[in-house]
This record gives sequence, C-alpha cells and structure tokens, in this order.
Amino acid sequence: MSLNHYISDPIPVPTPDDAEDGTDFSRADLEFYGVDHSGSSFEARVFFDNPDADETTPRQEDSGYVGSFYIFGHGGCFGDIGHCDIPAEPNGPFDRRPPHPLTPQKRTVVVTEAIKQFRETAGGDLTVTVVPVASESPIDAEDELFSFERLALITYD
Amino acid sequence: MPQTSTSRTAIALHHRKSVGRLTDRQLSDLREAYRAVLPIQDERGYNHHAGIHGLPLPIYCKHGDLLFLPWHRAYLYFFELALRDQVPDVSLPWWNWASRAAHASGIPRAYAAEQVGGQDNPLYSVPVPEIARQQGSRLLADEPPTETFRRPRQPADLPSAEDVEAALGAPNFVDFSNRMEGLHNWVHVWIGGTTAEVPWAAYDPLFWAHHAMVDRLWRVWQLRNPEANLDGGFLRQALPPFDMTVEDTLDVTGLGYEYASTTQAVGGTS
Repeated sequence: MSLNHYISDPIPVPTPDDAEDGTDFSRADLEFYGVDHSGSSFEARVFFDNPDADETTPRQEDSGYVGSFYIFGHGGCFGDIGHCDIPAEPNGPFDRRPPHPLTPQKRTVVVTEAIKQFRETAGGDLTVTVVPVASESPIDAEDELFSFERLALITYD
Repeated sequence: MPQTSTSRTAIALHHRKSVGRLTDRQLSDLREAYRAVLPIQDERGYNHHAGIHGLPLPIYCKHGDLLFLPWHRAYLYFFELALRDQVPDVSLPWWNWASRAAHASGIPRAYAAEQVGGQDNPLYSVPVPEIARQQGSRLLADEPPTETFRRPRQPADLPSAEDVEAALGAPNFVDFSNRMEGLHNWVHVWIGGTTAEVPWAAYDPLFWAHHAMVDRLWRVWQLRNPEANLDGGFLRQALPPFDMTVEDTLDVTGLGYEYASTTQAVGGTS
C-alpha cells in the first residue's frame, strides 16, 4: 500500500560560524512533534535531500537515509463515540486523571554525523523526506498513516 | 550484572535468563507454566494479564511517556507471579533481539517452533479471546484474529548491539526512556502481525520475552547510573491497575528478581 510521504520545506543548517564561540555542535536531533499514534504501527524512514524516496529506496547513506523512528500504534478507536477524542486543553489542576492515551507524541532521530556530512557534500538548506512503512498486521494502514504537527532541527554545543 | 547491587532480601532471587540459553528443563517448565495459565478464565489466567495491555477495554498500557518503563516492569512482575503460581521457580526469559543469534535467525526457536514433542508449542501462538475479538472488530474490514500470529521482517533489520549501546549511553532517565521506547517500538514493528498492534500485542507469548529484554536493559542502565535521580512527584505516580508506584519498581531485587545470562544449580547438603 502506498502511504503518505512527507517532504519538508527547506531547513537552514547551522554552521560553526553561527556559534557564539565558533565551535561546532556536538549533537544534532531531528525532532518530530505531535506525532499521531492512534492508528496502526509503522516505521518512519527519514531521508536527507531525497524527495523521491519511497518504500523501495535502500536504507543506505548514499540514498540520504539517516535513520528511522517507530510508532507502536494504538490500532484505532475501539470505544464508543467520543472515547478517542483528545481534549483540546490539558487536565485542570484538580483533575488527576492521566493525559489522554492518544495524546500525540514526540519522536527524535539523532542526526549529528549526517548533518555534518550533509554540510560537506551538499550544503545549503536541508530537505527532509519521511517515508512511512506499515507493519503487516490485522489492521489495514490508512493512506494518511503519518501525521504530525512540526519538525525541528535542534543542535547542542 | 549483580555484583554492583546489594540484594534487599536474604531469600534467593529468581533469575530471568536469556531464552537462547535456557536449559531443556527450564524451557520445559516455562512451557508448562504457559499451558497452565492459558485456560484459566479468571484473574489468574493468561487472558486477564494479556488483556490489561490492550483489548478488552480499558487499555491500561503506558507508552509515549516516562511511565513506559515502570509500568511495564510492574506488568511483567505480576504476570511472572501468575506463571510461578502454576510452576514454582519459573521465570520470564528475555529475548536478546540485538544478539548475533537474533540477527542470524530472528525469533528464537523456543518461540518459533509450531510444535514441540508432538504438542502445540504454547510459546508460538495462543488464542485471542472472544471479547477482545468483538471489540477489535469495530474497526477491521476483515475478521479479527482468532489467534496470535507474527509477520517478522528480515533478521538483519532488528536493532543492533550498537543501537543498544547508544541507548545505554543516555545520560539521564528521560533520555534513556525515550531511546529505549524507540527500540521497543522498533521490535514490535519488526515482529509484525498481532504483536505489532497495541490491542493484541500482549497475547503473543513473545511479547513477554521482548519486554523482559527491555526491562533488563533498564536494569543495566540503572546499574551504570546509580546516581540518577528522579523527581519525587514522578516517583509517587501510581501505575494502574497495579497497586504500585514508580518508586516501587525501581529496585528489581526488591521485586525478587535479577537478570542473568544462564543459571545452573545442584543440590546442597540437605
């Protein structure tokens, strides 16, 4: 089944010149915020500068592959109407119930060396492609399998 | 592993062992324990324990937050006691999915063989109870599964020893928990089938060996980071439906177990 891919807008990549003391970062993370995990399980394969990547693209450096993250999916909503509606606001101070189980999650892919290599070989702004690959399971993956709110490239000195 | 730890009890700890290195007797006892809990239809039985994680509702399992490791430690603890009620001294084994053996053969033979000794292997597949099938059928185009099954990917696609070491190198619990849950998700997706989906995952007997590996790696990380501090509010959090808090799960020796690669025992003088 062909599932929805994600291709980011260009992301500026920091250089040592951007640092206050001219030193390079020691770690770089791609952080995916607000990742939906309510459906079936899948692997999300992350590629740099390869918008044509798909399920058949080799997970190799020369394909721009930089790593994967995995979603262990809730499998859908099995309750009655409203059971899986995520509250728009966090619980109030006197509401000790845990957060809704389907509250979107954050996923991180460490890309320290990949970013440094990208700077040396390609340079310029970075485009990130994410290819979701579903598990073979009793639950059919939906077309819109991969859904999230925001992607950030975070570096640490 | 235990040399850096002090046991809180003079009573002998149970050792969880690598599934690939169980003796014939240990593996036979494990199968006997599974066969014994499978038909029990009350809270001592297999379906009760497997159903806590997924269907039937409510789904109690904790994923995507810091309760992931403590909750699953409590979960395994109570299931292991249920097995031990049937076969004393049995322990949950752990499946080292990052080992050379796993990368060569995938799922260990103890769990992959359909039959052993002319009988169905209870570690291979078990029935999914009717109520879990009924609730699961609300979303499925096809009939929900009547028994657990797996659709594993290539063995080389499992997490590597380097991936495990990278997780163990996490400098604090938050980072470690996130990395460990990522490896855990990876293996669920790799196994595929009913094990890849929260509603039915815990019905697969392999689930418990996978999670024993996750729990073991947390134990290893704890031993490497004995000074790691956790917030008091977090430590006091409950782990429903278990009558435990996060703090209650921190010391595995206080729960009566430890991790070993192998164990062999002989009789003493009495």
